[in-house]
Amino acid sequence: MSWRPTAFNLSFLTVVGWTLFLGVLTGRAELVLVAVPLVVAVVAGRRAAAPPTVRLSHEVSADRVVEDEPVSVTVTLRADATALVELLEPLPPGVQLERGRNHAFFALAAGEEVRWQFALRCAGRQRVRFGGPHVRLWGSLGLAVAETRYRAPHAVAVYPHLASLRHLPRPLRTQTYVGNYVSSAQGEGIEPGDIRPFVPGDHVRHVNWRATLRLGTLHVTQHARERNADVVLMLDTLSDVGPAGGTVVDAAARGAIALAAAYLARKDRVGLIEYGGHLRSVKPGSGRAQFQRLADTLLDASVVFTYVSRDVDLIPPRILPPQALVVALSPLLDARFVRAATDLAARGFDLVVIAVSPVGSARAAVRRSRVTDLAARLWALERRAVHDDLRRRGLTIVEWNGVDSLDTALAGLRRPRLRRVLAG
Amino acid sequence: MMRLAAVALVGILVAFPLAVLPAAPVTWLAAAALVIGSAGALILAVPLVTAAASLALVAYALALAIVRPAPDPVGAITLGAALVLLLALVHFAGRVDGAALGPSVIAVQVRQWLLVVAIGVLAAAALAGAGTALAVTLEGVTLPLVVVAATLGAVLTMAGVIALVTSSRAGR
Repeated sequence: MSWRPTAFNLSFLTVVGWTLFLGVLTGRAELVLVAVPLVVAVVAGRRAAAPPTVRLSHEVSADRVVEDEPVSVTVTLRADATALVELLEPLPPGVQLERGRNHAFFALAAGEEVRWQFALRCAGRQRVRFGGPHVRLWGSLGLAVAETRYRAPHAVAVYPHLASLRHLPRPLRTQTYVGNYVSSAQGEGIEPGDIRPFVPGDHVRHVNWRATLRLGTLHVTQHARERNADVVLMLDTLSDVGPAGGTVVDAAARGAIALAAAYLARKDRVGLIEYGGHLRSVKPGSGRAQFQRLADTLLDASVVFTYVSRDVDLIPPRILPPQALVVALSPLLDARFVRAATDLAARGFDLVVIAVSPVGSARAAVRRSRVTDLAARLWALERRAVHDDLRRRGLTIVEWNGVDSLDTALAGLRRPRLRRVLAG
Repeated sequence: MMRLAAVALVGILVAFPLAVLPAAPVTWLAAAALVIGSAGALILAVPLVTAAASLALVAYALALAIVRPAPDPVGAITLGAALVLLLALVHFAGRVDGAALGPSVIAVQVRQWLLVVAIGVLAAAALAGAGTALAVTLEGVTLPLVVVAATLGAVLTMAGVIALVTSSRAGR
């Protein structure tokens, strides 16, 4: 870091030039005297010694937050000599100031330590990257400056809000692992089922003494088995509509993370397929670590433009188990995703499509007028016709506008038994 | 607050030519300087304030050329000090606009400005005194002698500047 003159010198030199020129022109000594304090200021503003060393530490309060949760940035600085220090922390896109300022000036004495703190609010699902503050040392009159960039990379993961869901689409098929779904099959479990006469081999602890006393022979209580299910969330990232932070993919990711949390809480195994330009996936699993994996994958979900049509045949069974409930979240704007969903249903997958409406997001991105209102209404009608057509072909579709509660949208879901779907 | 102080300094600046000659050509120039300078002070634009300062100087020179008053070194030094303060204040205010300020930033800045202005005032006073003494000493001296003395002074000044620049480069 070294001193360099600023453009402000030009202002002083301009005025000095005028005074000397006018002094010579008019032959008045006063004008020369006017120039003297200006010349002294220019000479005093010139810096010969090396700029003082400023030590900084840069800390961010959290590396994982939920959207709209504030993040505190703390900068501690100390100089080895007297210095006027300017600090500027550039705000990444989608980040706003919540408290304090991201631009500050400090007059430091030698050895003095100063703490500077401000809070930021991260709107929307994103991975925010902070680069560290710009540091600028000013000469006494602003005629010399020394600047550098303090590199302190920090990444903050901003996860979507987690909405609680009570009305989840119930899987039609369950797995053999223990879960919260009461099976019709009898076996080990805590849910009481039928009562039947005792046969050799039954455990004594299963004897129903009340029925035994009433009927005069030994009877046992059978229990219903409790199973879990494999749930695969399929996120459509082939197309996106809406302003930054409020796009259809953002809404779909918000819905997907809520579904993942709710199914994992029911001891189900949850996986994820990001169906877009990049086909990314998370193998079904359960537990808190799986939730973190899903949340991190959803955080990076974005549209990558491609002409390539991904075939769902390419997805291995360990990612998409044949008995899994597939919950697809899509605006149904791209024909490739509609074809993939129809194919899945035709191949016997238990599929629920949550159609995230792009109409609201698109209207938020344009100025409101009568024409846009009319266009939005026509678009909504057209989408309804498309959904009805897909329903006739056997797909289960839940319409969700992406803003209201997903739980309310799912509450109205009536699921038919598995039936044949017309592919095409 | 800093904007108000800057506007006040612009007012002081344009008062100097008006004090010498409150007549039509000077008034027009001073009024233009006031408008441009006030606008520059309000939007914290250093180029506008520089233009206003230049206009005020032109008005001051015009007033001096028309009226031909007795030399007023105190007024001239005050005008120079006001110019330094105005430019430094507007530049500083523009830099810190919208930024958080540490507890002692303004106090330290004002102290530094006053120190520089005090040095400038002392230097100008010394120059005025030296000029007066030289005028008394050289009274009745022929023109060639004055020219030779001035040339000697210019050569010495240039040598000093070259020595200063060379030493600072060697120091780096």
